[in-house]
Order: sequence, then C-alpha cells, then structure tokens
Amino acid sequence: MNCQETRRYWDLFYDSEGDAELHFQLNEHLDNCVECAEWFDKQSRLESLIEQRLGVAASVELAPQVNWSSVLTGAGVTPAAKSRSWLFFSSSILALAASLLLIVGMYGLPFGDESPSLSYLSAEVHQHVSAGSLRPEFESRSDIEVDQYLLNKVSFPVRCPPRKDSGFAVAGAGLCELSQQPAAYVVGTVDQRPVSIFVLSKDSLDAFPKQRAELQRMQLTTCREGDTEMVLSIVDRNLVLVAGNVDSAKLTRVLKSYGTYPHTL
Amino acid sequence: MALPDREKAERFVAYLEPIQHQLAVYCSRALNRADETADVLQSAVATAFRDFDKYSEGTNFRAWMFRYVTLETLNRNRAAMRLPSELDEQQLSAPRTLDITSFRLETLLDDPDAVLDHCDEVVAESISQLTDQECRILLLRAVGDFKYREIAEIMDIPIGTVMGLLSRARTQLRSKLLDYARQHGLLSKGDSA
Repeated sequence: MNCQETRRYWDLFYDSEGDAELHFQLNEHLDNCVECAEWFDKQSRLESLIEQRLGVAASVELAPQVNWSSVLTGAGVTPAAKSRSWLFFSSSILALAASLLLIVGMYGLPFGDESPSLSYLSAEVHQHVSAGSLRPEFESRSDIEVDQYLLNKVSFPVRCPPRKDSGFAVAGAGLCELSQQPAAYVVGTVDQRPVSIFVLSKDSLDAFPKQRAELQRMQLTTCREGDTEMVLSIVDRNLVLVAGNVDSAKLTRVLKSYGTYPHTL
Repeated sequence: MALPDREKAERFVAYLEPIQHQLAVYCSRALNRADETADVLQSAVATAFRDFDKYSEGTNFRAWMFRYVTLETLNRNRAAMRLPSELDEQQLSAPRTLDITSFRLETLLDDPDAVLDHCDEVVAESISQLTDQECRILLLRAVGDFKYREIAEIMDIPIGTVMGLLSRARTQLRSKLLDYARQHGLLSKGDSA
C-alpha cells in the first residue's frame, strides 16, 4: 500500500472501522513511513479536538436546559433511585460546585464533616480539563517532558504510564488539591478520548473513607460519575485514579501499566 | 410478559442513566432550536419507555434509545420547517473516504488548538448547516461514539451511505473552520489558499 492509498483510509483507521487486513496493511505502512504516521497523527488530533467540542465541551452550556428528573417525570417514568437524585443536578450546578471545589482546594478551606468522594472530585476536574475550562499547567505530548515537569513537584513519585502498554497518549500535567490533599494529574487520550490520571500519596486515602473501605476489600475498584468511568488502585506509594469517557477496561489497562516500571525517584 | 410498572421503570432508568449526558448533547446539537432539548428528550423518553417491553434484554440499549431521540429530533426539526433531507444521487455517490488534501489544512493541522479555542460557536453553527442526515451521522459518531454499522441501524440507511455522508460532513466542517480561521487571522503561517 502506498502513501496515497494509505491516506485515503485515514477515516476508517481513525474510526476503527474496516477489516483486520486493512488495518494490518495500514499499520505496516505507518510503521515504515514517518510522513504518513505524522500525517495520521495530525488528522486524528484535529478530529479528536472537533469531537471534544461537539461532545464534552457542550456539557456546560447544555445541562441547564435538561433536568433529567423532570424529563423522566414528564415522560411518565418514575425515577427508580430517588436516593441518587443528585445525579440529575444540572451541570451548571455541577460546574459551579466544581469551581468551588477547585477554589476551596486551592485555598485550603475546610469542607466540613462530610468529605466529598474522591471519585466525585476527580470526575469534576476531569470534565473541566476535557472541556477545556481547566487547562493543565504544563502541556506536552512527550512522556519524558511530563515526567520531568512533575519531578519534585509533589512529595510522591508521579510518572506517565508507558504508551505502548497503556495506549495512553499524554497531553499535559498539572497539580491540584482534592479535598485538601495534594494531587498531580496527567491528562491525555486513549483512543482519542480524554483520559485523566490522578495521583495522590497513599496517605491521602485517610481523607476519603469511602475509597479506603473499598480498597481494603478489593485491589482495584471501579465507579462512575455521570458519563465518566473511573478505576482506582494503590500503586506502590501512590493512590492512582484513572478517569475517562472510555470503557473501564481501557482505563484498567492504563492503571495496570502505570505500575509496570520501578519507581526510582 | 410485560413487566410490573415499578420494575419496568427501575430497569429503564438504570439503562438510561449512563447515557443521559450523551443523549442531551446529541439532542441539543441535532436540534435547530437547542432550547427544545428537554422537551424533545421527554417525548423520546416517553415513547421509548412505552415501547420498553419490546426491548430485547442484552441487545444494544444505547443504540435503541438513540434511535428514538434521532426520530424525535428529526420530527421536531421538520415541524420547525427545516427542509427534510432526502438522499439524492449526488449523496449516494459521495466519496467513501475523506479527501483531506482538497483543503490546505497544513497550518490548521499543525496547531489546531489555536483555531479551535476560538471556534466553539463556529463548530455549532457549521453543524447546523449540514443536512439533517449528515448532521445526525456526524453527531452519532462524534458524540454517541457509535460504529458505522450501528449508525446505519439507527438511521435505517445503508452502511455505505453512512461512510459517504460522514466523510462529507467532516470535510465540510473542516472547510468551515478553515474559512473562519483565515477570516479571523488565526492561521499563524499565512495560509492564503
């Protein structure tokens, strides 16, 4: 397959469509043609950014118009789990809450007696990063540069998962506080979908009793906030949470690959 | 056998809950009037809930539900006097793959953030300028993350048509973005094509 033929199939490649033989031939060409590999990467990045703006980025402006509790009531469907009706909050409230949480985190104000869950806070930050309303302090597609940036920024080791093993393409990193616990986050994509990795000290688990109890029962836990899937585990001295709008199996792959190299920091 | 109402509602909500956000974004983007989103979703949910007894356990609920929302948005847009989009011969013979080289996109591709950071409204407006089918196919792919085969089933059209119209929609969207970027001086390298 030559360059022209290869590029004609970019959309099938990007959408993971077409048969295995086609993908084999495309990958074979891309492995041996730097120009086409770069071309594919640029096309995919542009399309991914457009999709983000069509999808995730629309959430803040849309949600105030859609009160799902009212929709379900109006449609004659009795909400089944009233105890979880907080899930139906409009995203303007969520966005406001997230902003407040971020501000509170930044300035270290107390939350009160009931600590918010790690998954809730992480999902909020992830959604804001995905929507572009919160940009990571450091942006780079280089694993090494991101590793270097995070070096000595926090008291615990943080590194990018190996791309080959995880399918995670890094885009940047930053620091935040989740319920007053210092955290680093690495953002990027898996299958062109935004994924965020939050890394906290293992000691931070004391601030999140729910997650602590879950991790005492299981090595790896999964949960969901809205349409954000999350997986959480303890890796060496770190508490690592991977959040994204992709299948939890792919997030688990990222999480597991996170621990596949020794921490020598 | 029909489920008791309470159990039916609980199961329906359990299925619906994970895809609510996707449905809302898709519906809003697909409608001519985004302020009708909640109303259209309510109608679609009511119809789907009524038919929920016909839903086969284990099949793709997400695609099943998107079909109802797709039909409802289509009906609403038609009612709002938007011209119905019927396939014509030109569309059916549309190229199957994206002819990206027909645009001088190099500068946009080199630094898409510089353009897209300013283009949220342009993206939304460009979507509204596509035909109904192109718009829905693009949104089902970009927002719904559906495979071509699933989109074909939801839209009840051949998979080849999905491929052709998706390619066309992407090309048009990029063209709009490029035009906007040129007009507003967002292309740093002076692309003048």
